[in-house]
Amino acid sequence: MSSEQDHLKETDTEARFGFKKEQNSAFETEKGLTEETIRLISDDKDEPDWMRDRRLRALRQFHEMPMPTDWPGQPDLTEVDIDEIVPYIRPDIDTRGGVDDWEELPEEIQDTFDKLGIPEAEKNALSGVGAQYESEIVYQNMQEQWEEKGVIFCDMDKAVQEHPDLVEEYFMTKCVPPSDNKFAALHGAVWSGGSFVYVPEDVTVEMPVQAYFRMNSEGMGQFEHTLIVAEKNSEVHYIEGCSAPQYSQFNLHSGCVEVFVKEGAHVQYSTVQNWSKNTYNLNTKRAITEKDATMEWVSGSMGSKATMLYPCTILKGPGATDNHITIAFAGEGQNIDTGAKVYHNAPNTKSTIESKSISKDGGRTNYRGLVHIADGAEDSSTSVECDALMFDNESTSDTMPYMEIEESKVDVAHEATVGKIGDEDVFYLQSRGLDDDDAKQMIVAGFIEPITEELPIEYAVELNRLIELEMEGSLG
Amino acid sequence: MSTQVHATLTEQHVRAISEELGEPDWLLETRLDALEALETLPFPDVIQTPGRTWTDLSELDFEALVEPSTTADEKEREAPEEVDVLSFAQAVEDHEELLREQFGSVVDPQTNYLTALQTALFTSGTVIYVPDGVDAESVTIRTTMDSQSLFNYTLVVVEQSSSVTILERQETGADADSDSRYYSGIVELVAGENSYVQYGSLQDLSEDTYNYQLKRASTDTYANADWIDCNIGSRLTKTSVETTLAGEASESKIVGAFYGHNDQHFDVDSRVWHENEHTTADLVTRGVIDDDARSVYEGVQDVGSEAWNTNSYQRENTLMLSDESEADASPKLIINNHDTEASHSATVGQVDANDLFYMTSRGVSEHLAKNMLVSGFFVPVLDEIEVEELREDVNGRVQDRLQARS
Repeated sequence: MSSEQDHLKETDTEARFGFKKEQNSAFETEKGLTEETIRLISDDKDEPDWMRDRRLRALRQFHEMPMPTDWPGQPDLTEVDIDEIVPYIRPDIDTRGGVDDWEELPEEIQDTFDKLGIPEAEKNALSGVGAQYESEIVYQNMQEQWEEKGVIFCDMDKAVQEHPDLVEEYFMTKCVPPSDNKFAALHGAVWSGGSFVYVPEDVTVEMPVQAYFRMNSEGMGQFEHTLIVAEKNSEVHYIEGCSAPQYSQFNLHSGCVEVFVKEGAHVQYSTVQNWSKNTYNLNTKRAITEKDATMEWVSGSMGSKATMLYPCTILKGPGATDNHITIAFAGEGQNIDTGAKVYHNAPNTKSTIESKSISKDGGRTNYRGLVHIADGAEDSSTSVECDALMFDNESTSDTMPYMEIEESKVDVAHEATVGKIGDEDVFYLQSRGLDDDDAKQMIVAGFIEPITEELPIEYAVELNRLIELEMEGSLG
Repeated sequence: MSTQVHATLTEQHVRAISEELGEPDWLLETRLDALEALETLPFPDVIQTPGRTWTDLSELDFEALVEPSTTADEKEREAPEEVDVLSFAQAVEDHEELLREQFGSVVDPQTNYLTALQTALFTSGTVIYVPDGVDAESVTIRTTMDSQSLFNYTLVVVEQSSSVTILERQETGADADSDSRYYSGIVELVAGENSYVQYGSLQDLSEDTYNYQLKRASTDTYANADWIDCNIGSRLTKTSVETTLAGEASESKIVGAFYGHNDQHFDVDSRVWHENEHTTADLVTRGVIDDDARSVYEGVQDVGSEAWNTNSYQRENTLMLSDESEADASPKLIINNHDTEASHSATVGQVDANDLFYMTSRGVSEHLAKNMLVSGFFVPVLDEIEVEELREDVNGRVQDRLQARS
């Protein structure tokens, strides 16, 4: 890391992620959600009729569906009043769809992403970067070599304009229809920004592409849409990062991710989520995998006030594989309700789910997962492993797996453990000269290592650093 | 889920039942309160996932199933001398104080629609009272159901430093004819300080019976309450076996076994609440499903914030013998105290191919080998049963099922 990157070593989360910028926008809607608002958003984006009609239909579905309130032990969503949210804020930038040079951005936005270390990461470890500020992508760039091979990595709004056939076919149709759940419907109505990734047949994108989502304004909702289509035998690794400064009023993030993994293709989707602790993070993420394809979800959930997120894979083609790796870290006032969903709908499909959670200072983590093996999905196997680490008696750790097995020629295993940080382990490390805090940090780092080793080194370091920040100074 | 209130069920029915049993006013009041509460109470919780309800109780037509005025059963009760094993009417006469203190103390009569229905209507019952310091041999109860519906209530009170093993069997009488029946059973178990109880039951009702049971124990300090719950019969079973570890250093084991065939549906739940320090729980369930049968398992280990130094374990294994069967499982951990060692595991699969190959390579026919492996699958559960009679009965019923396989 160069000396300009010293702020990345900042030990204070406030300085590292919580800095606020003046709220400058070129256009923003009123609070709340009406047909009028939806038309305004659609007009501001100059969208084709079919997209506006989809938004309006989703809005009607949103109004018809009840809030989810009856899930056992779910986070309290009573504070989430959609009418208090500003659903769309277009930052004051000239170029729609994102500039390709950081220098062209207004200074405060440029400074934001500099502080978050995005341009630095782009130079070292990425094939392409997209950066979203409030409701719009402000920076979008990809190395030329990938463009030449036909890879598309662009702003979702731009994709609506430039690749309408692909978007019309795949956007909230076969994977996550707005009717899926209340927040998917909300998303379908007000979505803005996000990424479109298209990888042609036989192309392997060697370094990951990354999108970073930043909310700056108080009381806003961010609803970015990510659509990934990986054609036959292609390969891509998509990383998303997110953060926001802390406000007293709540913010809402309700993204939607749709991934199509065609025959023999391989997609990895990694998330390092560090929303501020006033953010409700209610996402829908789903992948459909064809024959012999592989989908991998890697998620680290550190931030947010409440998260409800269960990345789903539908193993549609024979021989398809799913891997889920999740870490959840809940500190004071946080309720991280996350897990995985896998549908085995074809023979010889395989899934593994590995979940690790840490709760401290009154935080709550919950693993909520569903594995469904359909009749006829012969010779399929699934293995689910959940481990939870608890720091204190104010915290809560729940595990709620559901298994539905309609096929007999299968191998199904689920295992879970919960424990406290071992006094003996701490004592051992202390007797080697480490202080209590360092010893506990080291134990936590070891606990989550199976997950960090799946991430590119830069992100593994980042994730470890985030956890260190979370733990600092507050250990008893 | 909407509940239905019995149009055909009146206060008169309830008063008549209570009078017949010579009950005191407080018990009649409890029954009438339960009857009134039917209007507002929901059905027992069942698991729902997107688009699916694992056991749909709201589809059952309780009005047609329940015939409150004609209930009949036969009871056999065997007990050693030092233990009181009484019919409910007898207990009302001999032990009113005890009943008044304990009735509804472990299972709230208004827990749900079905417990309230049972409280209003039960006609059959047994009270087992084990006084201080008694080390009793086994108590056996056999209930034979001879009517379209039957509501059976059991109260077990084990005083300080006593021990007892109990075996309960539920069957259907040979000459009872009906094409659908309803059996409802509640067991309340009060385990006194430093007592030991093992309550084993074998449910072998006819396969046209809809069966709801709730068994719950509450433990005092150092008490040990173990359940063995075996389900063979019935068309549909919704059963919950539960322990509240209320006393310090108390323990509970919940052992379950089921074997479903044809179109049987078993919804089997094991739940334990750790409410005090140094408590231990071990939940073990093994089940086999064949033909079109479906099994649903929910296990809950709930560790309260005051339950320091908790140990809690749960295992569930289901063996699928047929491709048309379905096995659903949800083992849950709710942990509010970090001074806990808890784990659970669940598996679903077929008879192990390697084991089968080993046996067939030794000259055992595949059919026989499979049957032997299924018998063997139940051994860890059978080993937990202390009463030999129950062990033999369960094993016998498993063998019957295996013999009937083509």
